[in-house]
Amino acid sequence: METILVNAGGLVLMAAIIWWFWLSSSDSGASAPDQSHH
Amino acid sequence: MTGAPVLRTTLSISGASCQGCAKKIRNALEPLTGDASLVEVNLEDQTVALPEGVDATEAARVVTETGYPAEPVTGAETPASCCSATSTGPAPTAAEHENEQAGVPDSGSEHLAAATQSDGQIHLAVTGATCASCVNTIEKALKSVTGVNHAHMNLADNTATATGQADPKALVQAITNAGYGASVIEDTDAADDRRQEEDKKRYKTLLVKMAISLGLGVCLMVWGMGFGSMTVTDTNQSIWFGLGMLTLAVMAGTGGHFYAGAWKAFRHHNANMDTLIALGTGTAWLYSITVVSIPEALPEMARHVYFEASAMIIGLINLGQALELRAKGKTSEAVRRLLDLRAKTARVIRDGQEQDIPVEDVCKGDRIRVRPGENLPVDGRVVEGSTRIDESMLTGEPMPVSKAVDDEISAGTLNTHGAIVYEATRVGSETALARIIHLVKKAQGSKPAIGRLADKISSVFVPSVMLIAVAAALVWYNVGPEPAVVHMMVAATTVLIIACPCALGLATPMSVMVGVGKAAEYGALIRQGDALQTAGKLDLVILDKTGTITAGHPAVTILHAINGDERQLLALAAGLEQHSEHPLAEAIINKAKEQSAKPMKVTGFEALNGKGVVGEFEGEPVRLGNRRWLEAEGLSLSGLNDVEKAITEEAGTPLFLALGTRLLGVFGVADAIKADSEAAIRRMHDAGIRVMMVTGDIDATAKAIAAKAGIDEYRAEVLPEDKADVVNEMRGKGYTVAMVGDGINDAPALAAADVGFAIGTGTDVAIESASITLMRGSLHGVPDAIEISRATVKNIRQNLFGAFVYNSLGIPVAAGLLYPVWGILMSPILAGAAMSLSSVTVVTNANRLRLFETSHKPVQGTNQSQLSKGERN
Repeated sequence: METILVNAGGLVLMAAIIWWFWLSSSDSGASAPDQSHH
Repeated sequence: MTGAPVLRTTLSISGASCQGCAKKIRNALEPLTGDASLVEVNLEDQTVALPEGVDATEAARVVTETGYPAEPVTGAETPASCCSATSTGPAPTAAEHENEQAGVPDSGSEHLAAATQSDGQIHLAVTGATCASCVNTIEKALKSVTGVNHAHMNLADNTATATGQADPKALVQAITNAGYGASVIEDTDAADDRRQEEDKKRYKTLLVKMAISLGLGVCLMVWGMGFGSMTVTDTNQSIWFGLGMLTLAVMAGTGGHFYAGAWKAFRHHNANMDTLIALGTGTAWLYSITVVSIPEALPEMARHVYFEASAMIIGLINLGQALELRAKGKTSEAVRRLLDLRAKTARVIRDGQEQDIPVEDVCKGDRIRVRPGENLPVDGRVVEGSTRIDESMLTGEPMPVSKAVDDEISAGTLNTHGAIVYEATRVGSETALARIIHLVKKAQGSKPAIGRLADKISSVFVPSVMLIAVAAALVWYNVGPEPAVVHMMVAATTVLIIACPCALGLATPMSVMVGVGKAAEYGALIRQGDALQTAGKLDLVILDKTGTITAGHPAVTILHAINGDERQLLALAAGLEQHSEHPLAEAIINKAKEQSAKPMKVTGFEALNGKGVVGEFEGEPVRLGNRRWLEAEGLSLSGLNDVEKAITEEAGTPLFLALGTRLLGVFGVADAIKADSEAAIRRMHDAGIRVMMVTGDIDATAKAIAAKAGIDEYRAEVLPEDKADVVNEMRGKGYTVAMVGDGINDAPALAAADVGFAIGTGTDVAIESASITLMRGSLHGVPDAIEISRATVKNIRQNLFGAFVYNSLGIPVAAGLLYPVWGILMSPILAGAAMSLSSVTVVTNANRLRLFETSHKPVQGTNQSQLSKGERN
């Protein structure tokens, strides 16, 4: 159970990082395409 | 001029400063216009005029992408210089119709005036930026502000520049929102002073913070290792809790700026170096405090605390930043030395009264008195007295130059001889010295192509590192040995700490700053980072002849007196020629002065067009002129045939002197090769560069000069407008070509070349027209710039290589890749030290460039010695 929780938590965290820094838009204008197109 | 297109659509641009920029813009617009020659780029007005029917928005986009922020300016009031057809009132373009319908006022010219008035640039002082990610974040934040066309952040001196029509307050707000501090720089000089002061304060603060956090970290480590244990037990639980709280206080006090920066960046969907530090140290602390608070929740093996890691990492990073700050200060010495040349006050004569006023208060038209030994406060024209001015700090010429009434003089130069009064013609930022300082600063902040690589990588780097850290943690948890929880935490923390891209962010700007400063020391003003990079790759240098290889004005190169008395020959010729204003006469008079031959008294002077000059000396006619004329006068010149041949072989003009019917001698007058041209060309050969000469002169002259100067190849009888074709032809053959010229006639060729070198003085407009301007008249500036460029690019490569290798090796090791084979797992403390070491290494390596010396030492008495004189003033 603990293993599943830790792994699931890790994967969710990775998905959140991808979503927050690449996919979601930013209010400072650092738009997602800007950040990921390089 | 057949079929001239009707130019209607106009773009306002910024940043285009030379013919090279104009060419880039023309070429970029070629797909839209069908022919690059239909595009008119006006550098003065910073406008681009396009043929009718071209989509202005699309054209603006293309030009902006080329690197010159542009926007359409449509309206009948387009500048006359761009488009004289507008005054005839042709039908409005589609774009104008759109504007009219949308209620956009027809304010093209006003808009343009506003844009060009202040150069369209807003400079900001930025605080809190530490790495390539910060640069990226700040540039993006600035670009998001309405009206900003282009934004650039220079990490080396912590300034940002926004180009366009933005509100400065909005720019400051955007940077603040992105997690950094910012203020508008109104007076760049005052800002420099202020920044120096702030840097000093920050350096001290960082050292104090470093001492506190490192002190705690070391104490914890020593205590843990020597007297207690880093493992939580029932007996030491409360002590560790207290120490945990103390660590938290120290972390907040000495590393608070990392957490605040990380949070601000996070809120704006950004991640930077602060993010990695905050996550790394935060993870270590949270894990440790969990162990202390609920040790029973973890297996006994995993009850280890890492408070010392958090404190030491913050301490080491603070130390790294302090060292970095100190080294950064040294890189801008070149600019500081130039700034030190300025006089602080000026002795102005107003209403007949002399008064010392601050140099900032001097107005155009003010009369200024300057005594011997004083630096000139502003540019101007001499109105009273005469003197000799040492201009070496601007032109590199070691000999003081005589100045009399009506001569132009420049700020920052040194009055060595007499007292003069002069009228201010250019003050403040208009002076030649101010323009030079501005150009050096601008070039120091520019980014060569190689540096853009670091930016591209850093934009995805930090989030990627976070993903790697989580992935490494999961791998350790699933397949790692016990205690798995400890290992996963250590691996994740270490990855986050070691990956800070600060070295990557500093690699290029530090080297560029030192390289450009070094080039300025040698009298080469590099205007763009790109030129710095390209100059190192040159394999063909094309030289203009007149004024570049040669002095640009005729001089007596051969002197032959039949009776052997050269001084007497010179005295008589000078006596005759002192009445003439011909350049050949000037050459003879200069030679007479050089040899201290006093001009004899010659009367009845007369210049005979196409023949020579005639006068009367002691009742006899004295003639100086060409062979045909003297032979026609009945003189036999056969005795001087050999000398005449030697003169013509050296591309000189023979002038025969006769008194009555007696032939006295001959002068060879030629545009002499500069004393050091040959040596400079030899240096280019040594650097593996082919040297070519283009000239409008006849083949025989060109051949003679080429042979004497050691030129590999020459092209004679080339018209100024065809020089660019020669450049293009050689580029077509695969050469990376530099063109060296005087910057006026050679402008198209300078623009066509990969690197244009303009030979000009500091006060010359030539500064604005080439990518590199050689302030000294000497050709040595070319090999100097090439050598410095090669050294700088090599230095950047070393830095980038070091930074990349460090990260690409450090991250896998930190993630634990070596553990299965050798059982090595890096400690987070070591990661913190390695990270600091990498940025200190990059900065130190860049500073190594300051010691670089070219293979040719500058002439004694130039910059260095003058700078110290300037400082005394």
